[in-house]
Amino acid sequence: MSVSARKGLPADVPRRNGELVFAAPWEGRAFGLAAAYVEATGVGWAAFRTHLVAAIADLPEGTPYYEAWVEGLERLVTAHG
Amino acid sequence: MTAGHHPTEPSPIERRVAALESLLVERGLITSDVVDAVVETYEHDVGPLNGARVVARAWVDDDYRARLLSDGTRAIGELGYGGAEGEHLVVLENTPAVHNLVVCTLCSCYPWPVLGLPPSWYKSFAYRARAVREPRAVMAEFGTVVPDEVEVRVWDSSAEVRYMVLPQRPPGTDGLDEEALAALVTRDHMIGVVQ
Repeated sequence: MSVSARKGLPADVPRRNGELVFAAPWEGRAFGLAAAYVEATGVGWAAFRTHLVAAIADLPEGTPYYEAWVEGLERLVTAHG
Repeated sequence: MTAGHHPTEPSPIERRVAALESLLVERGLITSDVVDAVVETYEHDVGPLNGARVVARAWVDDDYRARLLSDGTRAIGELGYGGAEGEHLVVLENTPAVHNLVVCTLCSCYPWPVLGLPPSWYKSFAYRARAVREPRAVMAEFGTVVPDEVEVRVWDSSAEVRYMVLPQRPPGTDGLDEEALAALVTRDHMIGVVQ
């Protein structure tokens, strides 16, 4: 999104409820990789979500969310190429 | 990943993400610049202020509220918001008789264009499991006590639909303009964990 589109928004918008969007840089990276891959391949978010749901179900209950995200993306890339 | 910024060795998950990025870049599917731009957008541009502006508009404009409730995606698009995870937006109106609460029981489905990315608690197993089973207890942990006579409706985001709650306009806000009203609306109102 362009800088002009951001005009008028306070710098802390996504954090206004006291939380960072990403707790660590690798989480943002993992999110961005999925978005870029889904966009570039046209595979669709629904396909990613199927793998994310399966990864969350398969991994131990306390697994950090973005680790499941990475697992889901790896599975999608493996399945879809 | 910018391993040089780390004072210590990258963790296993950091190495995994870096390896995945390298693989996708080598295959020519993505560039790191595109990934940078996506991260930047979701860190700085897309957040619950978008949804707050939608709510404020609905509070001051009855025709807009009607359009919002009948076709959320289109009415939200009128304010310039849309895109990934916003293809099928449904807006749920809180009333004196009904309070709405949104969850995704299977993963983390969430209306990104109006709320940004979900908070960590929304993605937690505890919230996903308990919001359906004991919504009033979950809301109480956010300080929200819904009177017994008010019906609580829990909406599970499916693979298609993304929900956003339209909270009730607070009393005593008749003199406020749209911008001041938007400032009253938080992410938690639009998920429904607060009233």
